[in-house]
Amino acid sequence: MLNQPLVPRNALHHGKWKTDLAAWLVMLPGLVLFAFFIWEPIVQALRLSLYEANGMRIVRFVGLDNYRSVMLQPDFWPAVRNTFLYLLWSLIIGYLLPMVLAIFIHESVRGKSLYRTAIYLPNIVPALATVFLWRYLFKSDAYGGLNMLLAIFGVPPQDWLNNASRVIPLIVVTMTWKGAGATALLYLAGLQGINPELYEAAIIDGANIRQRIFHVTLPQLYNLARTLFILQVIAVFQILYEPLVMTNGGPNNASVSLMQTVFRYAFEKYDYSRASAVSVLISIALIVLTLVYNKVNREKEM
Amino acid sequence: MKDTQRQGAVRPYDLRSPRVKIGFALMTIFCVFAVLMALLPVAWVILSGLKDLKEFNRGVKGLDNHYHQQLLPAVFTLDGYLDTWNQMKYVRYYLNSFAVAAGSVLCAVLFNGLLAYGLSRLKPRGWKIVYGLIMGTLMVPATTAIVPLFINITQLSMGGTFWPLWLSAGASAFYVVLFKNFYDTMPDSLLEAARLDGCDNWRLFFKIVLPLSMPINIVIMIYAINAAWSDFLLPYLVLSGTKLETVMVRLFTYRTSDRINNMDIIRAIVFSIIPPIVLFIAFQRQLTQNVISAGIKG
Repeated sequence: MLNQPLVPRNALHHGKWKTDLAAWLVMLPGLVLFAFFIWEPIVQALRLSLYEANGMRIVRFVGLDNYRSVMLQPDFWPAVRNTFLYLLWSLIIGYLLPMVLAIFIHESVRGKSLYRTAIYLPNIVPALATVFLWRYLFKSDAYGGLNMLLAIFGVPPQDWLNNASRVIPLIVVTMTWKGAGATALLYLAGLQGINPELYEAAIIDGANIRQRIFHVTLPQLYNLARTLFILQVIAVFQILYEPLVMTNGGPNNASVSLMQTVFRYAFEKYDYSRASAVSVLISIALIVLTLVYNKVNREKEM
Repeated sequence: MKDTQRQGAVRPYDLRSPRVKIGFALMTIFCVFAVLMALLPVAWVILSGLKDLKEFNRGVKGLDNHYHQQLLPAVFTLDGYLDTWNQMKYVRYYLNSFAVAAGSVLCAVLFNGLLAYGLSRLKPRGWKIVYGLIMGTLMVPATTAIVPLFINITQLSMGGTFWPLWLSAGASAFYVVLFKNFYDTMPDSLLEAARLDGCDNWRLFFKIVLPLSMPINIVIMIYAINAAWSDFLLPYLVLSGTKLETVMVRLFTYRTSDRINNMDIIRAIVFSIIPPIVLFIAFQRQLTQNVISAGIKG
């Protein structure tokens, strides 16, 4: 500006608002993009959920009618139940596994870099390719990958995904396959940050290996594990691609997820109001879960 | 291996005990099993793509005159892959995906970088509010915004172009946080010196901050390329049915199509996996190490 350097010392002459303005100008392009791609659409989703719309045209304000009507649809409550089942199974199958894997790799002498590289590979396979790939592994025909494997042991082909009681755990296996390695690498980084003197001290105190793990390793991973817990909850709650591609929500809505009902409303029925209503419900659920989780954790610490 | 590299819970002298030795062996078996679990599905799909349709669906005729499924293809030839590549015109989808990735990388580094630079070094009055809003978006599920965003894009007639995909890479809370953490650790002295030489904010960013941030730039670039290549929902909404469809959008349309046979889908899966795998092999170290340390700090 005026060919003069914007030295903070000159701020008095220029007035602080000029430096501020120059700084805001630098941030402006990014802010515009955030507003366009994230902030405005979130506000818009809230608004849209309260209106009746005809395609993309808003017709009239209807209050909570959209919320009431989505809850009366036959696939809503199965979707709620399934979403929590996905959550539960993902915690059972996928929560401790990366931590255990990381500790094992960290304690290994040989092969560390091979382990790290190999377990990270599934994470770079695109999500959509992953679900297509696993759809073929779980195919009920003789050419399904797992059925081919079973055939070697003389076991007849199984109808893997077409079974209401095991479809969700099997889909969670797919998600775990994709995510566990990357999470394990986060734990590995955490493990590398543990001060070796802590182990020395424990050893001098006569702690055996199990005691060292339970009294040194795990407490040091506690904060990371807590963060990854809530991140996993948030991610699994939004599960969409897996049921969409692998089962299309079947058999008989046994694997339909909440996000999938949003997809159905928005891009199969073009009912944007109800789609927004469900996605607002998902957001509220996640924000409540996060807040409760943080509060419980804070109380525990005291 | 040197003893200094063993700084975990198990120490070399522990291994004298046979119980620990057995435990250690079980641990190694577990790790090897995990490696196989990670690699085999990918290997299976790549090998399956080498089969022809009959072989894939029925198996191979054995000595007993019955057909048997075999994990490995009977003949190793790339003809099948070439057929699918040519018939499904994959060159076009590859070029489209590359175009999306290239623009996204540029936007991701430029816009998130500038924003983080402002939040980290310039800190004008009110920056905390903006930072809070950006952190807040990490908590709201990304998919909440997708419906209204789709409506906005359509109403601005940006549907059927790459622009929404490119620009959306420029609004990533995650990248902003990674950039900001990196810029926070830059020494003040460098920036002050340049300022005294008369650099304004823009020149300072492009001449000094950006070139000095190569480690984080590379991390974000790899992330952005991978995200752009793998992303499917927004590209599907914006590009579906046009000539600009990406590899992922194409793959998704095979979800319900009856006219596409198993082999073509299998090979389409492989085509969509190959570029990320190449990227992974090329930047293995950055992906499994730098990214992690950057992530931990954030």
